[in-house]
Amino acid sequence: MPPLLKMIGKRLLSAIVLLWGVTVVTFLLVNVVPGDAAAANLSQQAYDDPEIRAAFEAKWGLDQPIWVQYVRYLGNILQGDLGTSQQTHRPVAEDLSQYVPATIEIALPAMALAIVIAVGLGMLAAMRKNRPTDTGIRSAALVGLSTPPFWLALVALYVFFYLLGWVPNGGRLSNIYDPPPAVTGMYTVDAAIAGQWDVFGDALWHLVLPVGILTALTVSGLLRFVRSAMIEVLDAEYIRSAIAKGLPRRIITWRHVFRAGLLPVLTVSGLMLASLLGGAVLVEQVLSWPGLGQYAYKSAISLDLQAILGVTLFIAVVYTLINLLVDVLYSVIDPRIGAK
Amino acid sequence: MRSLTAKLAVPAGAVALTLALAGCAGGNSTSNAGDQTLTVDTSFVVKTLDPGTVYEQTGNIAVHALYDTLVTYEGSDVTTLQPELAESWEQSSDGTTWTFTLRDDAVFSDGAAVTAEDAVFSLNRLKNLQGSASQTVQGLDFAAEGDDTVVVTSATPNPDVPVILAMPAASVLNSAEAKKLGATDAEDAATSDQIGTQLDTASLGSGPYVLKSYDPSTKIVLTANPKYWGEQPAYSRVVIQNVDVQNQKLTISKAKGDEIALDLSGPQAAELSDDLQVSGVADTSYFLSLNQDPAVSAVTSNPAFIKALRLTVDGEGLAKLFGEGATPAAGLVPPAFAGALDESENPVQDLDGAKKLLADAGLSDVKVALVYPAITYRGVDLGTIVTKVQQDAKKAGIEIELTPQPINVFLQSQSEGKNEINFSPNSLNYPASSSLVNNMAPGASTSLRTGWTLERADQSAIDASNAVTAELTPEGRNEAMIEWQHVMNEVSPYIALANNAGIVVATSDLTGADYTPAGWTVDLAAIAGK
Repeated sequence: MPPLLKMIGKRLLSAIVLLWGVTVVTFLLVNVVPGDAAAANLSQQAYDDPEIRAAFEAKWGLDQPIWVQYVRYLGNILQGDLGTSQQTHRPVAEDLSQYVPATIEIALPAMALAIVIAVGLGMLAAMRKNRPTDTGIRSAALVGLSTPPFWLALVALYVFFYLLGWVPNGGRLSNIYDPPPAVTGMYTVDAAIAGQWDVFGDALWHLVLPVGILTALTVSGLLRFVRSAMIEVLDAEYIRSAIAKGLPRRIITWRHVFRAGLLPVLTVSGLMLASLLGGAVLVEQVLSWPGLGQYAYKSAISLDLQAILGVTLFIAVVYTLINLLVDVLYSVIDPRIGAK
Repeated sequence: MRSLTAKLAVPAGAVALTLALAGCAGGNSTSNAGDQTLTVDTSFVVKTLDPGTVYEQTGNIAVHALYDTLVTYEGSDVTTLQPELAESWEQSSDGTTWTFTLRDDAVFSDGAAVTAEDAVFSLNRLKNLQGSASQTVQGLDFAAEGDDTVVVTSATPNPDVPVILAMPAASVLNSAEAKKLGATDAEDAATSDQIGTQLDTASLGSGPYVLKSYDPSTKIVLTANPKYWGEQPAYSRVVIQNVDVQNQKLTISKAKGDEIALDLSGPQAAELSDDLQVSGVADTSYFLSLNQDPAVSAVTSNPAFIKALRLTVDGEGLAKLFGEGATPAAGLVPPAFAGALDESENPVQDLDGAKKLLADAGLSDVKVALVYPAITYRGVDLGTIVTKVQQDAKKAGIEIELTPQPINVFLQSQSEGKNEINFSPNSLNYPASSSLVNNMAPGASTSLRTGWTLERADQSAIDASNAVTAELTPEGRNEAMIEWQHVMNEVSPYIALANNAGIVVATSDLTGADYTPAGWTVDLAAIAGK
């Protein structure tokens, strides 16, 4: 069996153990932290009524010992049932199928844009190390890193929606439109599939602000890694030799520096993408973007156990798959790694 | 090398393309631009649109527009009940039986007549589903007499029955259709009702609107019910959209169409342009509750300490923190409801008096812990309110240690009854001031959370509470509530601080966008253009 396939097989097997561990830890944590799901979901008077409280606990299986709840949950998962959310009263899988595409729709473009911008600016900063260009880029990145996402979202909303009127105030679609027929759950894609170009344009317009904010936040984090990785490569002996040999700058930059500097960037990008897919809670909240972040936040404050477990499991799967993907890409970019 | 202008041309072009696409109307358009649309901005708090289990604010707003109740309120007035499905109602002389006579022309959205059987089915289902709102109808029995008479009997005399039946949770469902979907009003409905989320996809009511779509995270779309038995609403389409509280001020300020916002705070409303209309009523009270169990706190269970802390409260100053529409609290009943104390009875801060009480009681270097939920409620950070309470108390020598808790933790710790002082907002379950007695009388549920048992209560508090429940008419109860509050201000562990207003902000060309403390925030069907 080729080493790459063997590696993928091993990683997938260990992922199963990892995901099981995630369910155990999450289940325990949710049950250990202070708070009572009945108190969080019922009115005060209803909570004080023993009959109503008992009915609530029986309905959601909370009247059973924790280990019974867990075994039931695990059994259901194995049958593809993630349970029912207390906050939406819908199957968690159905909720995830709605909220995950909404998050993907802003996370993927934001990550792609961030990589392009961060790699470009990072390389420029590395090549102009300690010069005004480098200082300017580093300072901008520092400002970006120090800016709270919530505050940035509010300021961006104020400037681009309120003052300039260039973007809508949030949400996924203007009120005059109905969502396109669901295929992928991503409105831009679904509208394009359905040929609803006015809806497509409106959905795209609604992407501008959240994608812009997430891009800005991600660029700031990524830039530092790109710059350090590139500086390290630029200091390598083979690059100095290439310069001494009089190789054209363009070839040195793109064929040698860029490719070699990309490896550490790939790892960080993978983690950042996983983090974005896990939901940009505060940005989603301010911009009323109905993604995974909002769902996770609302689940947490209402102690919606099934939803919390569903979100956690999804994020664990995302991290596992992205790490695997990064490792595979490592092997492709640097075949020496795959051979080890 | 390409010029900077050329480099900028690509992103600029992309934005232009986006804007152009946004503006164009494709051949396969799904635009509702031709409809008369009212947009409602609110931060969603919704779990269901099933009247039997609806309890949260956003759900109540929608359900009130989709369904009818036997009786209702108009505008912001919650003192006079109005007929809706019932054209008349009367109470028996012993106060235990209410008879509602239904109008004969009301129909559901499918054209079927609304009957007494539908009402009884819906109310029994509400009672037996054991949801949050079920508690309000416990102790009530419902029966149909013919097609047009609903008889409600109460285990004890209860003049508040019509008020309870005006709440969105008491809405009347098309029982035949609901049964087909698996609904039941049986005593075991909590486990045997199988309707699930089907009422989140299609409504079964007789209200002015029908449900077009429901997404608990983005928007709820209602369209006018073509078979509505009453006057057609002005807007053929209503979109209730989820807008974060922080975002609502900007959104309503830029609104070009017919739009309302429901979650702005008093300070935010005060900053709005004069073009916008603001409607608000002080209907939520904020109060401290001091634990009466000496094992929990020897200080807070000391009557002299309660009186002293009460004298440190600066009601005017607290009301200013809440902003427009807020008032100091003279008693536990907010001014929106009949039975509230007159503003002339607003307490006056008396720090010297507080110091003297503490000294006389031998209380020096007093230190107590105040627990509160670390949340922003109606746009006001509760931390700012308790900090003001803390500062005022300190002037009299009382040191309060503030303990913010996540809302889940607070709800649990409050219910365990081990906190020295709790601080939280309080809204009435239904717009009758006497409903407070059900929870706040000695030995009642809220009181037990602060250790205020019948044994520990002053007899005058028990007598005043009994005097309220002994009254057989709403007017009598409201009158008794005045005296009840006087007594509570003297001997209860509750210290009313201030009343905050619920607010509806509307664009200038709207009428009928009145905030109501009735439970549904605003009557969407009553809103029209000028």
